[in-house]
This record gives sequence, C-alpha cells and structure tokens, in this order.
Amino acid sequence: MTRTLRFAPIAAAVVLAAAAHAATPGQVAPDFAVNDAAGKPVRLSDFRGKHVVLEWTNPECPFVRKHYDSANMQSLQKEFGAKEVVWLAVNSTNRDHGEFKTGPQMAAWMQQHDAVPRAVLIDETSSTGRAYAARTTPHMFVIDPAGRIVYAGAIDDKRSANPADARTAKNYVRAALTETLAGKPVTTASTTPYGCSVKY
Amino acid sequence: MLRVLTVHRRSAGAVVAACAFAACALAGAAAAAPVRTANVEAELVAERTALVPGQTNTVALRLKIRDRWHTYWRNPGDSGLPTTLDWKLPPGVAAGPIQWPAPKALPAGPLVNYGYEGEVFHLVDLAVPADLPAGTTATLAARADWLVCEDTCIPEGADLALALPVAPTAAPDPSWGAKIAATRDALPRPLAGWGATATGEGDKVQLALTPPPGAGDPGTLRFFPFREAAIEPSGRQVLVRDGGRYVLTLPVAHQLQRFDRVAGVITASAGIGGAKAATLDVPLAGSVVAGPRPLDAPAPRLDLSAGAAASTSTLSLAAALALAFAGGLLLNLMPCVFPVLSLKVMSFVEHRDGKATMHREALAYSSGVVLSFVLLALALVALRAAGEQLGWGFQLQSPAVVAALAVLFFLLALNLSGVFEFGMLAPQSVAGWTSKNRTLDAFGSGVLAVIVASPCTAPFMGAALGYAIAQALPVTLAVFVALGLGMALPYVLLAWFPGWRRRLPRPGAWMERVKQFLAFPLYATVAWLAWVLGAQLDNDAVLRLAVALVLVAFAAWAWRAFRSGGAASWAVAAVAGVAGMAVLVAPLFAPPPATAEARAARATDDGWRDFSPALVEELKAAGRPVFVDFTAAWCVTCQVNKRLVLQDADVLGAFARRNVALVRADWTRRDPQITQALAALGRNGVPVYVLHRPGQAPLVLPEVLQAAMIHEALAGL
Repeated sequence: MTRTLRFAPIAAAVVLAAAAHAATPGQVAPDFAVNDAAGKPVRLSDFRGKHVVLEWTNPECPFVRKHYDSANMQSLQKEFGAKEVVWLAVNSTNRDHGEFKTGPQMAAWMQQHDAVPRAVLIDETSSTGRAYAARTTPHMFVIDPAGRIVYAGAIDDKRSANPADARTAKNYVRAALTETLAGKPVTTASTTPYGCSVKY
Repeated sequence: MLRVLTVHRRSAGAVVAACAFAACALAGAAAAAPVRTANVEAELVAERTALVPGQTNTVALRLKIRDRWHTYWRNPGDSGLPTTLDWKLPPGVAAGPIQWPAPKALPAGPLVNYGYEGEVFHLVDLAVPADLPAGTTATLAARADWLVCEDTCIPEGADLALALPVAPTAAPDPSWGAKIAATRDALPRPLAGWGATATGEGDKVQLALTPPPGAGDPGTLRFFPFREAAIEPSGRQVLVRDGGRYVLTLPVAHQLQRFDRVAGVITASAGIGGAKAATLDVPLAGSVVAGPRPLDAPAPRLDLSAGAAASTSTLSLAAALALAFAGGLLLNLMPCVFPVLSLKVMSFVEHRDGKATMHREALAYSSGVVLSFVLLALALVALRAAGEQLGWGFQLQSPAVVAALAVLFFLLALNLSGVFEFGMLAPQSVAGWTSKNRTLDAFGSGVLAVIVASPCTAPFMGAALGYAIAQALPVTLAVFVALGLGMALPYVLLAWFPGWRRRLPRPGAWMERVKQFLAFPLYATVAWLAWVLGAQLDNDAVLRLAVALVLVAFAAWAWRAFRSGGAASWAVAAVAGVAGMAVLVAPLFAPPPATAEARAARATDDGWRDFSPALVEELKAAGRPVFVDFTAAWCVTCQVNKRLVLQDADVLGAFARRNVALVRADWTRRDPQITQALAALGRNGVPVYVLHRPGQAPLVLPEVLQAAMIHEALAGL
C-alpha cells in the first residue's frame, strides 16, 4: 500500500515547477502608448530587448532647467544614446495646466538645449505619469531589456536647483545604467526623487 | 506689522521709513533689513534685543510667503525641497538645527506636499559662550535657501544678516519676541501621556494611540513622517476608534526604503496631549511591504468603502491563524484529499507498526504538508513581487498545471485499481523496504496531499488567505504554516492514539476492496479537472487530455506486461505510450491566449454579465443594485454555490424583482482586473459574493452561500 505514494515527491516537484514557470524578478515597467512631439505613438514595448530611460521633464521647472542649463541631462543622453540606450523624455503636464507644452514647443525647447532624447513624449492626459507614480520633474526610471524597472528615483544626490551642483553630485542614473549595461545588478536601485511636482 | 509689510511692497523708500519707525528704531541696536524676493520676504529676527553670553538665545528665519504660495517642511512630501540655513557666526557661537513648526498637508493635484503658507518662523537656538565680550556687536549671518511654489516652483534664497549687541541682560524684542515665543510654544513636542505603538501589516502601518484617562477626543489626526520613502504622502490616512484607542492607518510608500521606526509629527484638530501637534518616535513592530502605485489612472474601480473593507481588514493575526488552522482541518474531508489521507491511514492498519515508526511517519507527513504550503506561499509572494497579479488558487489558473494534475490523479487511480504498481519501476527496492523509505514516503504523501488539496481550498480560508497575502512575509508564512498544521493534525492524532485500530477488522481482502474503491473519487477528480481545462481552453483541449489519459493507461498496462516477464516489445510499447501522451499534452504548456478573447467566447445569455470595473461603476451610477459573483471553474465551493444557490429559481426571481444587475467575475484564468477587485475587498481567492447597494456600503456575503442569505441581503435594499 505504501508503495502507492512513493513517487509523490517527484510528481509534486513537476507540478510545482509548472506553477512557478511565470516568475520574473523585479517590478515590471507598465507599458504605455504616448504620442511623441510629432504626434506619432510610441510604445514602451517597441523597445523590448533594449535598455530604456524614462525622464520626467517639464521646461517650466527650475530643477529640470538645472540639469539642462548645466548640460548634465544632455551629456547623459548623448553618452548612453551612443550605447544603444533608448532615452525617452516624458512631459506629463496635463493639457489643462498652464505649464502645458505642445509637441512642437517641446521639440523646439529640446533642440534649443541641444538635447538628444530618442523621443519626447507628450503625456497630455498624465496617464503614463500616474501609471509610474512619477512625482517630480525630474523623476528618472531605468528599464532593462526584459522590461523590468532596475532604477527609480532622483537623477543625483544633490537635492538643489543650483546648476553648479550637477557637476559635483553623484549621478544615480549614470551609475545604474553603467551597472545594468555591464550585466550587473544595480547597487542603488531606489532613491527619493526631488524637484517640482508633476503638473497633473 | 502687517501694515508695515504692505508698505514694504510698495517701495524701497517706504520700507526703510517704516522699519525705522516701527521696529528698528524702537529695538535699538537689532538691525536687519528684510530681503524681498519675487515671492517671499525673508529676514533673520531675534527673540530678544541683545545676545546674552552664557545663555541659549533664540533667533528665527522669518519667511512671509506670497498668498497661495508655500515653502517646505523638513520632509517636503511628494515634491519640493526643505528650506535650509547655512550660518556664519562669530567665533564660539554655535547654531542648533531648525526647529520646524508642524506642517500643513498641501495638495498639488493628486500629489501632497508638506509645508507652510503665510508667515512662518524657523527657530534656531544659538549657544553663546560666556566669554563673548559684552558691549560689542555680534553679526549673525546666514545663507537661507528655500523653494517656493504655487503651481510653479521657484528656488529662491538670500544672504541675511542680523547685528545684535552683546549684553548681560536683554528684553523681549518688541516686534518679534512674542511671535517667536508663541512659535516655540506651538512647536510639536514628544507626545505626553498617550501610549503609542506602530505595527507594520503588509502595505499599511497601524499607528495606535492610547489616551490617558480623561483625555478628550483629539478630532482629526494626521501623521507627517520625518523620513521620506516611508509613508506615502498622497495616501489616505484612515482614523478608526478601536475601543479606547485611536488607530490611524498609514499607507506605506510605493517607492519604499526600509525603516524600523515610525517618527514624525502628529497633528490633531482638537488637540492631543494638550497641544495641536506632537512628535512621535516609536519602533515599528511587524514589517511592511511597499504600497501600491499611488497615482494610478483614475479609471473606475470597485468601491472599497468602509463596510466591505472593514469586515476583513480588521481580522487580527490570531483570528487569521485560527481560521487557517480550522480551514486546514476541514481540507481533510474534501473529495480531492480524502483518498490520499485514507491510504496513509490504511498503511497503519496494514503494518501494525510500533509507536516509534508511526510517530516518525506522522512527523514526516506533517513536515511534508507544512513545507509544501510554505513553498506555495513563497512562490505566490515571489510572483506577486515580480508584478504578477495573482491570488490563491493561482496554480490552477494555468492549463498546464491542470493537465499535469489530471495525469497525476489518473496514474494514482490506475494504481489503486490495480492496473500496475509503482514498485515495478524499481523492483530491487521492494525487497529492502526500509523504514527510511517509509519516512520519505510519508513526507511525499504530505506534499501530494497539499497539491491535490489546492482545488478544494475550503470555506473559512478565503478571509485568512486574503489577510495573509496582504501582510509582511513572516505573517504570511505563519498563516500558511497554521493551515498546514491544521491539515496534518488528524493524521498526527491517529498516529499518537492508535486505539482506533482495534475497532477495525484484521487486515485482509477487505483492504484491497477499499483501496480499489478509493480509486473512484480520483477518477471523478480527473473528470472534473478535464471540465476545468475545457473552461480554460476549449473542447479540443479536453479531447487532447482524454486521449493522453488513454495512452497513459495503455503505457501502464504495457509496462506491467513487461515487468511480469513479457518481451522487450512491451517496454517499447510503454515508452511509446508515454511519448504519445507527452506530445498530446505539450501544447497545453504554451502561453494561453489573451483573457479578453477567451472571455468574449463565453456565452452571456444567462442574465449574468461579464465583470469589468467600468461595468460595475456604470450600473451603480445608474442607481441599480449590483451583485458580483467572483468565481472560478476550479473552485469547488464556487461551483457548489452556483448550482445550489445562484441558479435557484427563487433566488433569480428575487434578484429580478429587485432589479439587481448580475455580474460574474470569472477568475478561472488569470485576470489582473479581478485580482485587483478582490484585493480591494481584502480577499485573495474565490469565492467572494458582493452586493453593491445604492447609498450603502457594499455587503460581502459568506463563502458558503445559502439562498436565505441572499433573500435577507436583498430585503435590506
């Protein structure tokens, strides 16, 4: 009689393994479809297989200007753009808000600052901002090729609006990208973002 | 002073005149001109007219903020920056930290910041050495930086200075002395008289405040954490009076950084410990997990208002453990577990073992049960952490697992029917049947019992598992361990008190018959699993499974022939049977098609509409009562309730008379929307029955449904 159940552990292991096959470590980045400055829809899933940076931005925000006036943001965009990282600047300012910028306005502002994100996304309903719980401009997310968020938080550790600080600060985004591009786990995966509130 | 300030705004000349007239001249030597930025008037002010050596002297950064604009507290909340002061002081003079007044919660769209509006004094204590020579003038200088925001944010700052005479005595400053003293009186101080504890429970922190005897009602409470990334600034804080205590539920931050103390300011509209605000710093008991994304799109979602949520979220750990234990006990009677347990019990009868062997087996069996539950819980927690929207029963949402279980049950049943014996696979071990093997075997049966039990997750367990899954890991595991202990208990009792064996006939032919009979509940389970598979996929899947089972039976039969001395071709036939089975079942392991398609394919002409949060909102908005049936094909209790109650003509008639909209949320396959709706009700499994009543809190009905309960609930409409 006892022989009946002898193979139970093996069968159990098989069933358990089947139940767990869907496991993926890390938080999954919510997919989105948002129009770029030219009105063309951009999906996060378009970039599956690549590293993606999401940069919440708003030209009216002094903290954003700190990183553009010091050329800090542009140099990050260039440095990692050259390494096949897809950089998406997202403006979640609601279209009803006084600081809202149209696609052409955002494109002109980026051009004027010599900025080179892959695309500027006009999240005029703020829905993508809400999906990511983006709180501040800037608020930075780094997503790995598997679509998992590997870094979320501030751009650096100097919580000020002073452009001079951008040069001396420890840049969390550069550190996270460097590690994840090298296939290493990100040491500092989460920090508290600082800046203006996203204008929902 | 307000009038003076108005003048300041008009012209610089007037500022000087007003200052000279109103304050500066009267104060004697205290001299500092306020600095006007675009949105703030800033200055350093002193509590007294002179610095007194050997004493603590208080000065303040005074910010007079433009109407509707604000500056920030030490923790700015969702965005912003705290105001900073960088002192340049005479040698020997040391400045303390800013003593922050209690902040206000300042909403910015869906975000919440912590800060100040109007006029605010940032007090700083200066330690002035005894040897600072009297009769001289000390210049206190500071760089002040602040972020000032309305909708737009402007970083501002000023280099400020205050020249004060050094004197052995000093009088209160006529302009600022009283305001600084009042600010100091209102500073939040450690909460006096009240008891405070903080307990982490999943994505919430319960801050319990116990008043001293005779304390009045504190009114509305709000907690402002000192730390960022601990409590979600925009999350709702819910105050509940629980007996003599006040329990403030704080939502844990989505982007959480671990914390082990809950420290911050608590404000009370009617006062707490004799003040409007107090500080708290208590250790965090339990532990927390990151909260949900706070700003998810304002899509219609299920109302998680008081009635529904309160009935489950107030479940205490002790109650959850007790419920889980009882649920585990009950699992033994479920049709899927009963045969497995019976076989184990019969092995006692057959072997007439000594006490030690029985005890060892019982412990091994219990370990198998508990360990499997812990593993399942860990798998569930890990998958949820990975972002999967899953709940209890998730194992059965995968067609592959259902098919694998069907094959497993079928093999067990064939074995009981005597078609073949597993021992034939490894004949050499039959002779050396050691006690070690039997211990392992008992452990394996424990594992098997848990696997086959999962479809039968009993009533009582819904609330306990819903509670468990929302908690920190140790609590989750404790609940699942209690479930396992409950399930293992009957077997342990039978092993420890073997007197019952005397009442049974001696082992003999009857045992073979009982064994063969027990195959039938297993065959029935296979039939049911085939039906579940049909509900998940389609008719073709059922046929695939059925043919696969025929091949399994063939392979078992052929193997038996080979082992009993048949030619090698029998073994080849057996292997071919298994291979054929694998080929047939393999497609079921492919990722299933999207839920929406599967749902669209399902008929909806029976008066029940398919669940979506939007549909429920729409029906509620139309003023109709809505009954939601959260169910799954693999959930036995759900099917029983459906057949006995929800398809009952009387019940359907009562629903129709009250114009109740019927909505069915079918969780047979994974569905994040349904998982979220369940979570909103404090549940993590099915069945759940909810009646949304216009103008009332939603009513959650018991898992074991009776027609009378529905009639009673409808009577309350």
